Formats: sequence, C-alpha cells, structure tokens
Amino acid sequence: MVDPLVLLTIVLMASVTYATRIGGYLLLRNRTLSPKATAVMEAAPGCVLISVIAPNFVANNPADLIGIAVTLLAATRFSMLPTVAIGVIATGLLRHFLG
Amino acid sequence: MTAIDTDNAPFERPIASELRRGMADCMPVLLGIIPYALVLGAQASQKGLTVAEVPLMTGLNFAGGSEFAAIQLWTSPPHVALIAAITFLVNSRHLLMGAALAPYLRHLPKRKALPALFVMTDESWALGLADAKARMARGLEPAFSLPYYIGTAVIFYFSWIFFTTLGAALGPVLGDVEAYGFDMAFPAVFLVLMRGMWKGFRAARPWLVSLVVAALTYLFVPGAWFVGAGAVSGLIAAYLLAGDQ
Repeated sequence: MVDPLVLLTIVLMASVTYATRIGGYLLLRNRTLSPKATAVMEAAPGCVLISVIAPNFVANNPADLIGIAVTLLAATRFSMLPTVAIGVIATGLLRHFLG
Repeated sequence: MTAIDTDNAPFERPIASELRRGMADCMPVLLGIIPYALVLGAQASQKGLTVAEVPLMTGLNFAGGSEFAAIQLWTSPPHVALIAAITFLVNSRHLLMGAALAPYLRHLPKRKALPALFVMTDESWALGLADAKARMARGLEPAFSLPYYIGTAVIFYFSWIFFTTLGAALGPVLGDVEAYGFDMAFPAVFLVLMRGMWKGFRAARPWLVSLVVAALTYLFVPGAWFVGAGAVSGLIAAYLLAGDQ
C-alpha cells in the first residue's frame, strides 16, 4: 500500500516542512532580517506557486487558454470556492464546445 | 464536586474553555478548507497515490500549498529531490511566521513550543496571532493562549487528514478529472492564494519574472525544470528589486 520511494518523498517533505516551522522560531526570534532577505522571503511562495502553474498560461489549445484567463479574472474578484467553481465549469464547457 | 475537582478547577476550566473558543473560531475557515482537501485527495489518487499514502503525506507534512505543488509535479516514481526543494520554497514563509510568533511564545518551554509549531498553518497562525494581539490589548497574561491556538490547529489537522483521505477514496469514482475541467481547480486555488499575498504590482514583479521564465522553460526544456528555473529567477528578481520598493 505504501511504496518505499513514495514514503521517502513524504518523509523528506515532512522533515523539510517541520524545519521551516521551527526554523523561524529557533533562528530568527532574536534577530531582525535585512530588508532584502525579507523581500526575498515574502516573494518566495508566490514565485513558486506561479512557476508550478506556468504551463497553464502557455497551453496549446484555445479552450485551456481562455479557461485560465477566466480563472485569473475570477481569482481577482471572488473567494476560493466560487473561483474554483467558475474555473472548473468554464474550462469544462470551453473544452466541450471548442474541442 | 469532589475536592480534587475543586483543586483543579482554576486551571482546567480556562484551558477547556480556551480550547473550545479556538475550535469555534476556526469553523468558518474550515468550510473553505474542506473543498481543497477533497480536490487534493482526488488529484493525488489520479497521480497514483494510494488511500494509505495520502493521509501519510497530509498528516506528516500538513502544509496544503506544498502538497498541491508536490501532487502537481508528481510522477511515478516521484522526483524526490525536486519535490523536497519545492516543498521548502513553498513553505519558506513558515520561517517568517515562526519568527513573528516567537516573541509571543517566550513564556512557553521549548518542549511545548516545538510540538505546537508542528501544527502551525497559515490559518491557525493568523488566528492565534490575532487572538494574542486582542488579549494583549485587554491586558491578559500571557497574551498568546496556547490552548486557543491548539483548539484551532487540532480541528484543522484532523479535518485535513480526513477530507484528503476521503478525496483520495472518491477520486477513482470521479474518473479522469481532466476530461471535465477539474484540473483547473489547481490554478484557481493557487491564484486565490496569491491574491491573498498581493501587496501591489511593484511587490509582485518577481512573480511576473517567475511566470515568464517558468513558461519559457516549460516550452523549450523537457522535464520539470520549469518550476526550479521560474522560482529561482523570481527570487533573484526579488533580491535585485528589493531596494527599490
């Protein structure tokens, strides 16, 4: 039921994540970060998230491209649940009608 | 009431009521989390993770953003180092969160603070910190209420494991999610998360650099290099642009 390589990946993820959770508390509690370091750390999560979904922005069919544009627009206006619903339904319909 | 109850009452009662207060405060947030958990579990099962592996990941790692990223990049066999590196980058914000929380944890010994940080999420961190600031304004000591924070975190923890596992169990029933458009749930989730981090266009310029570099790398370089290339370019841009904000 649990593949050894999958287990290794999960244990590594968990270790890395716990290190980030206690790292700030243990290392940074008595220091102030430089403005540059703060700027990099604040930008980091967004840089990763947008990189992971970058392929959606250069999809090779119009349905998926319009789908991501609609989803992006929805994300600027609505909360999580409506945005997911709009993105999923719009993309499903676009794929159905535009092929 | 027995003598023992009376002795313990001044200590136990506030803890129990603080726990309950935390549990109650996290409920509205929980409603928003359940759909994510179901989508994550379903997508994980599509990528070949078993119903045993999903709760192992969500229970040991317990950081949704990194789990979405890992599943998005998941292959069989998985790119172990890539996923560990991406997990670090997505969760690097915890370093700042922990540092921000540290002044409020001074009254706690490490043996309590370190386990409490295991369940630190964006949500329980925000609730716990907001509550600490409110308690401080009312002159309550200590400002940070550990049982309140634990009350929020425990509900998130068990709900996250339960609903991701449920999603994994239901995933095969739903069939190929890409045939409908369910795969657009991921970009939707990520884009809403990013809107939550939005601090104006100038602060978001590194994200644009990441997007362009990641997209070009995806188009011209085979494999999953686009994530690392995009993320690192964005971080370099953030470093170079920092002085100018």
